[in-house]
Formats: sequence, C-alpha cells, structure tokens
Amino acid sequence: MSRYMLLSFALASLIALASTTDASAHCFVGARFFPATLATDDPCVADEMSLPTVSWSKTPDTPPAVEWDVSGEISKRITENFGVSIGETWTQIRQPDGSVTAGFQNLETTFQYQLLKDRAHEFALMAGLIVEWGNTGATNSGLGTSYSLVTPTLYFGKGFGDLPDTLSWARPFAVTGQIGYEIPTSSFDFTQNAFIPQQAVYGASLQYSLPYLKSEVIDLQLPDFLNHLIPIVEASFSTPVANNLGNPYTTTGTVNPGVIWVGGYFQVGLEAVIPINRDSGSGVGVLGQLHLYLDDMFPTTVGQPLFGGTSAAPRKMTF
Amino acid sequence: MRILTFAISALFTVWLGTVASAHAFLDHAEPRVGSAVPTAPRELSLSFTQKLEPAFSSVEVSDANGTRVDLGRPSINTSVMRIGLKPLSPGTYRVRWHVLSVDTHTTEGSFTFQVGQ
Repeated sequence: MSRYMLLSFALASLIALASTTDASAHCFVGARFFPATLATDDPCVADEMSLPTVSWSKTPDTPPAVEWDVSGEISKRITENFGVSIGETWTQIRQPDGSVTAGFQNLETTFQYQLLKDRAHEFALMAGLIVEWGNTGATNSGLGTSYSLVTPTLYFGKGFGDLPDTLSWARPFAVTGQIGYEIPTSSFDFTQNAFIPQQAVYGASLQYSLPYLKSEVIDLQLPDFLNHLIPIVEASFSTPVANNLGNPYTTTGTVNPGVIWVGGYFQVGLEAVIPINRDSGSGVGVLGQLHLYLDDMFPTTVGQPLFGGTSAAPRKMTF
Repeated sequence: MRILTFAISALFTVWLGTVASAHAFLDHAEPRVGSAVPTAPRELSLSFTQKLEPAFSSVEVSDANGTRVDLGRPSINTSVMRIGLKPLSPGTYRVRWHVLSVDTHTTEGSFTFQVGQ
C-alpha cells in the first residue's frame, strides 16, 4: 500500500467517523494546557493534526547543503487513553553545486497510551512506541532506509501551578520531555557500508504560558495577542549507545528557542533551530508549524475517540 | 498529493459547515485575576471564550481559611458566570471554577484577588 493510500485512508476514516460520546481535551491537565511542541511531543493522547511543519536548515557537510523538510502528522484517539499517529516528511537537499536530492522519508507511526493525568499537580505521563517503517521512503536517494526504526518512548509534562504564593510569578512555567531508545531492525547498512547504531533519543521543553499567567496568576491587561503566547525553548538530542563500531559516540541535536501562539482551534509555532555542535548542522535554521485541534474543530465527530468514550452526560464537578 | 489536498479541503469544508466551539478559556474576571480592589465587591463575574452549559459549570469563592464567602448558586448567561458574594472583609480570596462548554469540553482554574490591601 502506498503512503498516499495510507494517508488518504486515515484522513477519509476521520471524515467518516461519527459518534455521540463525551469529548475530552487535547493536552489539558487541570488548569494547565500543554501546547503541541514542535521538536518534541507533548505528553497527551489527542485528536490533532500538524500540517504543515516546515523546517529550513543547513547540513553539517563542508560546505553545507541547504535542507527543507515539509511534514504532516495526524493523531487520532482510538480509545480515551490510546491513540495512533501517522506522519510523513518530504525532504529536499540542495547541494552547493546546485544538485538536488528530494523525496519522502520513511513513514512514521506512533502508538501512545496515556498513563496518568494528575490534575492537581498538572502532571501527565504517557508511553509510546514510534515506528519508522523501512522501505516506505526514498531509499535510492538515501532519504529513506531499507530498515525500520523502533523507539519505545516515555513522555512527561509538569506544570508548576502548585508552587506557593510567594513564587506565583513562576506558576506559568512548565516542562515537558521525552526519552526513548531507538532500535534499528538491522544492525548493518550494506548500502552505506556502516553499522547502524542503537541510539538514545531524548528532548525537553521549558515553556512560560502567558494564557496561564492571565487566567491563573494575574491579569496584566496585556494586548490580546500577547495573552495567547507561550514562549518556549525546546531541545532535542540523540546519542549513539550501542552497535556504533568504528564511529564516535557523539551526541547531536538542536536547541530551539521560539514562541507558540495558541488559539481556540489551532496554534502556530515558530522556532529558531540552533545546532549544539558541528555534527548537528551548520548555522541557525528555522522551524514553523501550524497545528490543528481536531477535538475542538469537530467536537462531536472526528474529535472523539473511536471506542470507549463516555456516552453518559458529563458529571457535575464538586470542589 | 492531490488526494491529500482533497482530503484536507474536505476537512476544512466540514469544519466550516459546522457550528464548532472549543474549550472555554477564562477571558477575564471582575475583580480581575490577581488584582487588589479597595472596596469589597458584591459580585464575582467570570467571562469565558465559549458558551457554557449551566448545569455542569460552577464556581466557589473562599477566604484564606477556606470558608466559602459566595452566595451559592451562580447565574450563567451564555458565556458569563456570575455569583453573589457575602460582605467581604479585607483579605485574600480564592476563586475556583469549573465549566463545561456547550460542546462538552471541560476546563477549570483558580485564582486569587485581594480586598482592601
């Protein structure tokens, strides 16, 4: 089945779905809203779509090539706590001599299960399994691989809304993070004549929510646009840890300062991409994303889990 | 790519044809979140970004000792929730709210305001 058919099937299924179950949120945990982060993942199962995510960067080569990545990802809850994501990335690499390599990377699917949402402490925990499927990308041009990558991953998010009143200015802070172990389904790449390392892949974000500041701490009567902003710094790394014979165990990654504007139905994020070393890239890149909250856009249809939603009337909250 | 474009267009068409509503965020409050007011307010007003379901939305106001100082049942008019307050002495008061927007999304929050300080 081609990647277009897979993606079309997923989208068509979403359009066709309908249910009458009670809706839940995207990443709300108590009073905290964790936005969808760009370089890492937020700690919640949700109905959402990132389309597009666009990045521009320069490769670590000497002299560097210019790389464009355009990707899309759609996430769907199967049950209230279990969801599946399907993502695809198109890449173009333009060498200094003008030659261009372009094509799709391997298709990526992610299976996620919500382990915990502690409203009082604004804490969320989620387990996931990321699978990049071999032979689903442009293997001839080196953008896809013939082997798959399987990455068990743990995600977390913690808001600081439970800080004491003396530190109320710090309550809008939150951290999210993920740590995974990437396992290739083959140990040796015969086309590159190199071992394929197992890697630790990890990242985190530090964010300061102006919406939280306004609604939970102090309303400074800032312009409405500012009250929708979440300044953020993300970091994303990978470190070879095994089967890396003959190669240095160098950590690569980027640190991404930026900002996310959060609306009622979508958010827009923009980040600078700063390589942490020469092996991670050349110069500062840019990463942007439009992210749609499907559960808010289609609250009674595609914004519902497929199975096991709460069909009963919502329970009245007592304090 | 044409299929993808079509599918995305279909999604947006469905969305635009739907009376969608989102999570209800607190837009503003009176007394304002984190503010200090010189005289005791007789009412608390919370304005949200979405219409509310009155049966499943509530608010309470309590003093520093945790004693309720509101008059009980709030009144809700579309996206605005109001609740009367007992005579308040100078001090810090905490507001805790929980609302259900008309599309069944729940949100909650809390904040403080001060009287006479």
